[in-house]
Amino acid sequence: MSNSAVVIKRHFRELSVAAVFGVLLLVLAVIAPGFFSRQQLLTTLTAAAPVLIAACGMTLVIVCRQIDISIGSQFALCSMIAGLLAKAGLPMPVVALGAIASGGAMGAFNGALVAGLGLPSIVVTLATMVTWREALRWSREGEFVKDLPDHFQWFGLGQGGGQGVILIGAMLVFGVLVLAMKHLSAGRYVYAVGADRESARLAGIRPGAVTFVVFVIIGGLVGLAALLNAIRFADVDPKTGTGLELQAIAAAVIGGVAISGGRGNLWGVLAGVLLLASIAPALVFLQMPPQWEKAIQGAIILLAVAVDGWRTRKEANIG
Amino acid sequence: MTMSQAKSNWSWSWLRRLEALLVIVLVMELLIFSRTGTNFATRENMFETIKLSVEIGLLALVMTPVILTGGIDLSVGSLLALCAVGFGKFWRDAGLSWPLAAALTLGLGSLGGGLNALLITRLRLPPLIVTLGTFSLFRGLAEAITQGVDNFTGFPEDFLAFGQGYYGGVIPAQVPIFLVVAVMVWLLVHRTTFGRSFRAIGFSPEGARYAGLPVPQRMAIAYLLSGVATALAAMIYVARVGQAKADAGAGYELLAITAVVLGGTSIFGGVGTVTGTLLGVAALAVLKNGLQLSDQPSELAGILTGGLLLLALAGEAAMKKISARRGRLATLGASRGQSG
Repeated sequence: MSNSAVVIKRHFRELSVAAVFGVLLLVLAVIAPGFFSRQQLLTTLTAAAPVLIAACGMTLVIVCRQIDISIGSQFALCSMIAGLLAKAGLPMPVVALGAIASGGAMGAFNGALVAGLGLPSIVVTLATMVTWREALRWSREGEFVKDLPDHFQWFGLGQGGGQGVILIGAMLVFGVLVLAMKHLSAGRYVYAVGADRESARLAGIRPGAVTFVVFVIIGGLVGLAALLNAIRFADVDPKTGTGLELQAIAAAVIGGVAISGGRGNLWGVLAGVLLLASIAPALVFLQMPPQWEKAIQGAIILLAVAVDGWRTRKEANIG
Repeated sequence: MTMSQAKSNWSWSWLRRLEALLVIVLVMELLIFSRTGTNFATRENMFETIKLSVEIGLLALVMTPVILTGGIDLSVGSLLALCAVGFGKFWRDAGLSWPLAAALTLGLGSLGGGLNALLITRLRLPPLIVTLGTFSLFRGLAEAITQGVDNFTGFPEDFLAFGQGYYGGVIPAQVPIFLVVAVMVWLLVHRTTFGRSFRAIGFSPEGARYAGLPVPQRMAIAYLLSGVATALAAMIYVARVGQAKADAGAGYELLAITAVVLGGTSIFGGVGTVTGTLLGVAALAVLKNGLQLSDQPSELAGILTGGLLLLALAGEAAMKKISARRGRLATLGASRGQSG
């Protein structure tokens, strides 16, 4: 087999998602070039940036063979904490630290229950998802955080500057994680534990510690994502982040991250996030009813995994 | 052979204890709320609580076989919305009589469950991901059909009676339906070899296959059942609230899963009972209703549910550890007969 054929075979999923995304962009370029106006592109990308950060965290968790469905609630709590800290007059770096730290703390809570007590992550994070969300509703009763200081929205840099900060922040997180997952031993530990926990343990890796740290990381990333999302608006909505966990899992799955752990690649996740984030604006520009967004997202998820399932079946039959 | 038998025997004994724990929680709830709640310990309130938990109860009942096989169905809340909207569409826009529309809705539900079953068993895809996809797809279709705003109302009286009527002025009309389904699911899971295979598959899919069980077929039945019961729950929901919108049943999948897991069914499959699920549904419903009547914020119910879930899990893990230790001891001298 030639070299390029091997690359295509190995990265079939990432490449096919990228190809679908490319076709969508091409169609939009022909029919609705307005999609590519600077303003629209920036709006689409800054809305996608927090999802990308959360999806990167989710990728680590899924590669480690766990799942975290509490991140939507974590996101809402972190947004609220960021808003309240800013309103208390603290400077933005402290606000950012507060959001990230509270996300990390909530992640540590999940991590302790999953890694420490050995409880199934899907049920643990289901419980914390409900608990955080209801606690927030109880304390705020649906009230927005209003009258934020001027340095909160867009970091006080104006829309252009704020969007720049959001995009650079997301790209930094993505870049660091891509390098860490590929070249740091800590990153390879995550793959090792997800692929085969017992073998990883025998190879001298501590699976419990890796799992715990992965949950702390996704918590911290969600805190950062919440901050970068909150600064796009003048007020902080306590209901924000509902369904973020499903968006993040969907992006990861579409990008080829295996739910059975040990396999997945952040470039695919990037393509997945961009594809999902473009559907809503694309529907508007193609003058189709926007209510189809969820149905199309669901169809894309099913199609992506179905193609995968079909390919493995075919390979199994040949082999 | 003896080892695996001893193992399963021991897992049964701790399960019984977990259900006993849930009974204690339920009794405590009843005792506390009958003191703090106004009009809590009345016949009307009891039936009202049952009436309000019929839809979740139905979803939890059929979620039990699904989780027993080691699967999960995240799509039930969305499928409920699609069926509710579909029922409205069949009745109002296609001009069908409501019994015919109801029959078509049951068909729609089994189609939805069938799609899950097809993808999970034919292409061997993980249930979590498949039902995540259909979770989005079904809700999206409901939204697309109604354009996000359409609301079906004005259903005929004899249909609404199923959600709002009472037998003898006391028993809500949906309760007998629920009881029939509960008994049927219980019989299926606990009194037929067919239903027993759900647990065998969850315990060890490979082992079940070598034992000659048609694993894909049995798994498909579990998801199909889930789809049909969801359609039934959708119609009871529509009859109760008198309208069908695309946002119906949002979050119901999580409530149903919570009730099942609280009831002692292992999320990894293989272990669990229908009785436990019913106890779980009851514990959640009484908690919500009791707090409401005690003038406590409704959010407290959610927080306590989360806490209860974690406690149940930790208890399960602890008991497993103990039983594993005992199981090892038991296998050393295990030669006595097994009751299975």
